[in-house]
Amino acid sequence: MEYLLHILIIAGIYIILTLSLNLIVGYTGLPALGHAAFSCIGAYTSSLLALNMGMSPWIGLLIGACVAAFSGVVIGYPAVRLKGDYLALATFGLGVIVYSIAKNWVSLTRGPMGLPGIPGFSILGFGLSEIWSYLLLVSVFVILTIFVIKRIVSSPFGRILKSIREDEIASESLGKDTTKYKLLVFIIGAFFAGIAGSLYAHYITFIDPVMEAITILLMVIFGGMGSISGSVVGAVILVVLPELLRFIGMPSSIAAPMRQMIYGLLLVVLMVKRPQGIMGAYRFK
Amino acid sequence: MLNQLLLNGIIAGSIYALIAIGFTVIYRTVKFFHFAHGIVYTAGAYFAYTLIISLHLNFALSFFLAIALAAILGVAIDRLVYYPLRQQKASNLIFLLASFGVVIFIQNLIQLIYGAQILTIRTGPIKEGHHFLGAVITDIQILILAVSIILMIFLWLFIQKTKLGKAMRAVSDDPIAANVVGINPERIILTSFAIGSALAGVAGILISFETNIEPTMGFSALLKGIIASIIGGIGSIPGAVLGGFFLGLAENLGIWKISAGWKDCIAFAILIIFLLLRPRGILGNKTEKKTI
Repeated sequence: MEYLLHILIIAGIYIILTLSLNLIVGYTGLPALGHAAFSCIGAYTSSLLALNMGMSPWIGLLIGACVAAFSGVVIGYPAVRLKGDYLALATFGLGVIVYSIAKNWVSLTRGPMGLPGIPGFSILGFGLSEIWSYLLLVSVFVILTIFVIKRIVSSPFGRILKSIREDEIASESLGKDTTKYKLLVFIIGAFFAGIAGSLYAHYITFIDPVMEAITILLMVIFGGMGSISGSVVGAVILVVLPELLRFIGMPSSIAAPMRQMIYGLLLVVLMVKRPQGIMGAYRFK
Repeated sequence: MLNQLLLNGIIAGSIYALIAIGFTVIYRTVKFFHFAHGIVYTAGAYFAYTLIISLHLNFALSFFLAIALAAILGVAIDRLVYYPLRQQKASNLIFLLASFGVVIFIQNLIQLIYGAQILTIRTGPIKEGHHFLGAVITDIQILILAVSIILMIFLWLFIQKTKLGKAMRAVSDDPIAANVVGINPERIILTSFAIGSALAGVAGILISFETNIEPTMGFSALLKGIIASIIGGIGSIPGAVLGGFFLGLAENLGIWKISAGWKDCIAFAILIIFLLLRPRGILGNKTEKKTI
């Protein structure tokens, strides 16, 4: 039971990540590969604040999300001026950079040894040590994210995003400052990714640098680009599916690379057979 | 100190240049970012490890066998993944993402077989290098420099002088016209993947003699290779060489004052500066600008 709740919590965190990336990739059509970097920034910020300054994880979560959003400005500013492959390359580069900083700035991040003993959340002095209470917390954030993303994509702002995806020149010719909108989307996406990263760090209580390039993007594409329910389904399936490997008794040293191999293979198969995913509204042009 | 950094820069640059020209040879014919190029580089290093350490084969034989295996891997990726996508006339991004899937798949396959820890091919004590103009250069580093420069010259002669090289340039300039005059584009693509992947393999093998190897080594190497190609001018082979050396020198001079861990950041900053200010690179032609 405990294990099942754990899987649900991880799935919930991935739903937040997938939804926020879907806003960038699926709704605006920007092929961003560095989304994990934003959540990494959120996770490290809030963990370091809690460990070094004794700050409450709640404030840490907010600051972590803001720092992630700020990094969204820093990377988004040059990135949104690029197109297609070059945007993918620049955001992939961001992922490598954040990984290399987390790994090499040993005096701050302890490098590959990671940060252990990150404190968990507490409400009015009561720690959320029970696993179901953490699930509740994550669920609140998931619902909040779904609500916000849904509002964004069905607003006039969301329609501009879709128009950028379908035909950027046309929406520019209607007087829309597409660069500004693309940058805004990066900031919003990074903010939510920061929240997810921070939720993860305070739940697992340990983080270390991992080069994560495709998992979240795969969830977006698998579920379907430009579809909220698709993102939820994609994240849940792709979190649960590899857990079956553990069920059949595979040790974690084999299950972890196996899981990534499945992801890699699935991405290739999707690209060849069904690039719009299960319930996608859009495919890369 | 300065001389040592310059020398390190040239050696790093020659590795980047090898990766970059391999990447460029492939890019010229297929016109998309072949991210799996980085994993061919990693695989080259692991092939060399397997042949030398596990199978106890002779050094020179392993070197050539590992290059052949890297070339076969590159061609296999093209046949199994890119070929079906070409048949569907898929967009560049689809190719790029599929090649990313290949990277993740092979990288974790390597991790499954060899483990995530670092491995080393070097056996026996570390020999002291030769002193040269106030800098130290090891035998392996001399080998790296010599092999890369010889390969660059050979590749240049191949592209410029041979019939197949001419056909490759034709496909790169105009695939339809090349097809009209009887050049089979699929054959040229296969040749490019074989040559490009062999070059990535060479880079991986050389680096495995010099430092430790690990499954994730290809990410940073690929990024450097692509950055070198872009700052040199994407699609230009002399540009890739120039970009590789430029990047190697810039990184190593950059860490004169700051810690070596920041090399990747320096490389990335250079990429962003080039993409924003001079997207066609040092030697690129003007028409490429439109695509960025």
